[in-house]
Amino acid sequence: MTPEELKARYGNLVLNLSAALEAGDETAFSAHLNAIMRDRDDGLWSQLRKLTTDLGSALERFQLDSRLVDLAEKEVPDAKHRLDYVLKMTDEAAHKTMDLVEQSGPLAGRISSDAEKLSTMWQQFRNRQISPEDFRNLLDQMEVFLNDVRSTSEQLRRNLAEVLMTQGYQDLSGQIIRGVIKLVDEVELTLGHLVHLATSHTGKEAPGDKFRESRGHGPAVPGVDHGNVVNGQQDIDALLSGLGI
Amino acid sequence: MSKDLRFLVVDDFSTMRRIIKNLLHDLGYQNVTEADDGNTALPILQAGNVDFLITDWNMPGMPGLELLKAVRSDPKLAKLPVLMLTAEAKREQIVEAAQAGVNGYVIKPFTAVTLKEKLDKILESRPK
Repeated sequence: MTPEELKARYGNLVLNLSAALEAGDETAFSAHLNAIMRDRDDGLWSQLRKLTTDLGSALERFQLDSRLVDLAEKEVPDAKHRLDYVLKMTDEAAHKTMDLVEQSGPLAGRISSDAEKLSTMWQQFRNRQISPEDFRNLLDQMEVFLNDVRSTSEQLRRNLAEVLMTQGYQDLSGQIIRGVIKLVDEVELTLGHLVHLATSHTGKEAPGDKFRESRGHGPAVPGVDHGNVVNGQQDIDALLSGLGI
Repeated sequence: MSKDLRFLVVDDFSTMRRIIKNLLHDLGYQNVTEADDGNTALPILQAGNVDFLITDWNMPGMPGLELLKAVRSDPKLAKLPVLMLTAEAKREQIVEAAQAGVNGYVIKPFTAVTLKEKLDKILESRPK
């Protein structure tokens, strides 16, 4: 308050007060003194009212920021389930790959050792050191071996194809992890927004998730994505044939 | 069935592109080009050397659904067979893809048998 403002606001009040004092008029003196005190109180009250309103609107915004509530109550717990699912999926894929490798190793080993036995006999035959009985034996074993090589290498080929398909987990888990990274980003942004709100109240709304629909949702996670999700390829085939595709 | 069909495989995960490419090779299709989203796929398609498009949905840049719409709205590409191979599993999405003109929809994780089935089905119904 400038000296002029001070004078304008309190000048008359003080003059009235001092006149009452000079006159020894107790009633008038108390009345003028009360007027001065009321004037001060009014200023204080209006400040307090403003503070209360500000606090109220800040609290309201906080409560109304449904995105934050959604994040805290639904999406963060969901994200934990999604990451659990990634863990399960990668675990299964790693085990399946190792099962197939463990199954394939001995198959390749058997072909190799059978071939070695046969080639020893074959060498004896080439050196003309073989009895007619051993020769018949060699022919029988050769036949068994050729059949075995055919079926075993087919089995190996199938296992390798299966190993290849199993690597699909990287895409599926990658999509889920990417979704969680996006969520973490959003939590960071929303918390920043909250900090901003706590220090001033001109904060902008936290950005929503506009592009989600056309971008896609990523793989459906059991126990997290309920409702309108198809249950495997058969479901899709039925849905599409209903649409004439 | 002609084995010199030219495929374009669009997926942002290189692992998945390799898997699809390997499966196509196993089925006898040797001519396979790759792209990692709709934005890189579209120029390849417009160059006119692709007979069959296999695309993911959820990709950064241009997602598969947008790519499908772009293909259908381009007079030169409108009849290109498009198979969607994706983890997107919501019913309304499958309906949306169908309405946008997809020829087949395979859900991940998938099997080699399913992929072959859907490819054959699309190729059989294709106008010669």
